[in-house]
Amino acid sequence: MEGLVRRELQSQIDELRKKHSGLAVISETDTEVIVAGKLPFEASADGLETITGSFDVEIRIPTDYPEQLPQAKEIGNQIDSNYEHRYPDGTLCLAVPIEERRVFAQQPTLLGFFDRLVIPYLYGYSFWKKHGYHPFDEAEHGYEGILRHYMDSLQLKDEVAALRVICFLFEYGYRGHHDCPCGSGRRVRVCHGQRLRALHDYHTTQTRQMDFVAILNNCLKKIDDGSLQIPDALRIQILRILGKCKS
Amino acid sequence: MTIDTKTFSHFLEQVASEIDIPPGKYQQAVERYQGVGRWLEEGTYPECTGDLSIYPQGSFRLGTVVKPIRDGVEASYDIDLVCELPLQKSRTTPQSVKSMVGSRLRENGTYAKLLDPEGRRCWTLEYAEQEGVGFHMDVLPAIPDPRGLLDTAIAITDKSESNYSWSASNPRGYGEWFDGKNQAAFSLAVTEQKQRIQRNESLIFASVDEVPDQLVRTPLQRAIQLMKRHRDLHFNDHASNGYAPISIIITTLAAHLYENELDVYSALSGIVNKLRAHAALVEGRSIDHSLATRGLIQRRTDGTWYIGNPVGPDENFADRWHEDNHARARAFFQWAEALQQDVLHVLNMEDPRVLKEHLSRTLGASAVTKHLGLIAPPSQPQDVPRIHIAEPAKPWRDW
Repeated sequence: MEGLVRRELQSQIDELRKKHSGLAVISETDTEVIVAGKLPFEASADGLETITGSFDVEIRIPTDYPEQLPQAKEIGNQIDSNYEHRYPDGTLCLAVPIEERRVFAQQPTLLGFFDRLVIPYLYGYSFWKKHGYHPFDEAEHGYEGILRHYMDSLQLKDEVAALRVICFLFEYGYRGHHDCPCGSGRRVRVCHGQRLRALHDYHTTQTRQMDFVAILNNCLKKIDDGSLQIPDALRIQILRILGKCKS
Repeated sequence: MTIDTKTFSHFLEQVASEIDIPPGKYQQAVERYQGVGRWLEEGTYPECTGDLSIYPQGSFRLGTVVKPIRDGVEASYDIDLVCELPLQKSRTTPQSVKSMVGSRLRENGTYAKLLDPEGRRCWTLEYAEQEGVGFHMDVLPAIPDPRGLLDTAIAITDKSESNYSWSASNPRGYGEWFDGKNQAAFSLAVTEQKQRIQRNESLIFASVDEVPDQLVRTPLQRAIQLMKRHRDLHFNDHASNGYAPISIIITTLAAHLYENELDVYSALSGIVNKLRAHAALVEGRSIDHSLATRGLIQRRTDGTWYIGNPVGPDENFADRWHEDNHARARAFFQWAEALQQDVLHVLNMEDPRVLKEHLSRTLGASAVTKHLGLIAPPSQPQDVPRIHIAEPAKPWRDW
């Protein structure tokens, strides 16, 4: 199986390089393949100016790609060190994990990773540098950003609903005939069916667990100070899931 | 400009999947033929004790379906379905078997409307589908006719004028033979391909286990698909149409000649080269000894041709090759030569525009154009890559 997956990876690398010829495989080890080089681009977005830029980038592709997505870094010291969406070591925080997976799913190849995640990020940075605000908005930091993603994309009324949704995804995946975890009282398939299906498809075991922890964490604070109540059934479900989570 | 074979192989793989049946359409086809199967199974047939056996044959069974092109336009998919009735040959007649199946189909109001006039061997149902191309389903009435070791062999009916006779066939046996040739490559490809299909079609297949084996494509199957598509376009004009190599010949020879090459390009070029190596037979000359011993294509002393059915050597697929001054034989080798030039030799084409035009003409513009970027970079000097951003993610920070 190793050999064939490597071949598929090679096809993706070849496809990537045909468009972005400044990139090349820099090294290959047992744990990852590193592709790096110059990334010039001209990017446009509806209603916004076209930006031409060039960055030196590096991506590390893990052996379990695409179960785990590559880490992208800007290695030319062009991005301001105070830019918030970047680790001290240069790794770019492209998006909330579930959103990263959603976008990747539209074109699940290395070329898709660059054209739909890395370049839009660099476009966003260039725009921010020039105008002082983000063209595509920013997600809140940390767990709050994850919670907000669920609340906004499913238009949930409160955090308890978000908690119910992530617990539902965790325990059931997708069940059209269940009551929708948003709390509407309707069945999933006539309520948030499509979006839940999509979330279920995009999630990996890792992202699902992370999102569960994130949303729960957000809720715990409010539960502690009494501003949020969760029903017993949900409390029991949470304990059940915690039992299944790997630490 | 020379393209490296790895890139070209990837391109061929992509083109082949464009001309393949999409998984959603495949599922639709399965639903259609299972529906027909259920209807036939529930019928009562005089003298029949026991269950009917209904199964696909041909390209649906072998995983070599291509979108057919007739007169330059996409036509319906061909589904071939065998309907075996549990009757003994000595206790029935071909006419009776044929008409029992026809009557049963006609008993269903829906099928009666889709039914074509009686065919030589089968009954045809024409499905026009709302979305995309339709299906052309050939239902082949048959009875078991085990012969010695060929226990899957069947007897089918053949109508000529008003006379019905028996004919021999063994689609199950052939399917098993083909699977044997495909097995090694299949085992290597199955897991990764099923995962990819499930990822891309998650609305159809909730899990990898639901993806049928028939949707996996080995380099052998891809090579056969490309050969069939090339044949369809090559023989598109009516003059030479009747002499086009039949799919069973293409499939059988390809399967014999496949040597478990790992990519489409190597598989195709291996097969085509060995086919071309038989061309000397047309002029009555001898060919390479090792190929001659395999006897895949033979020229007999009386000048006629032989390509044996691997599961029933009595059957000669090339039994019409000598007609009209060996028209079909000549057409076959000319086509093999064209395959070499059109699909394999293009690697050495200097001018990218000529390359694009050539591949479009020989494999079909719609299948090729989408993937040309893989092998023919833009003709201007390297432009800055252009990206249009739609539905981007919001940047984040996890602390």
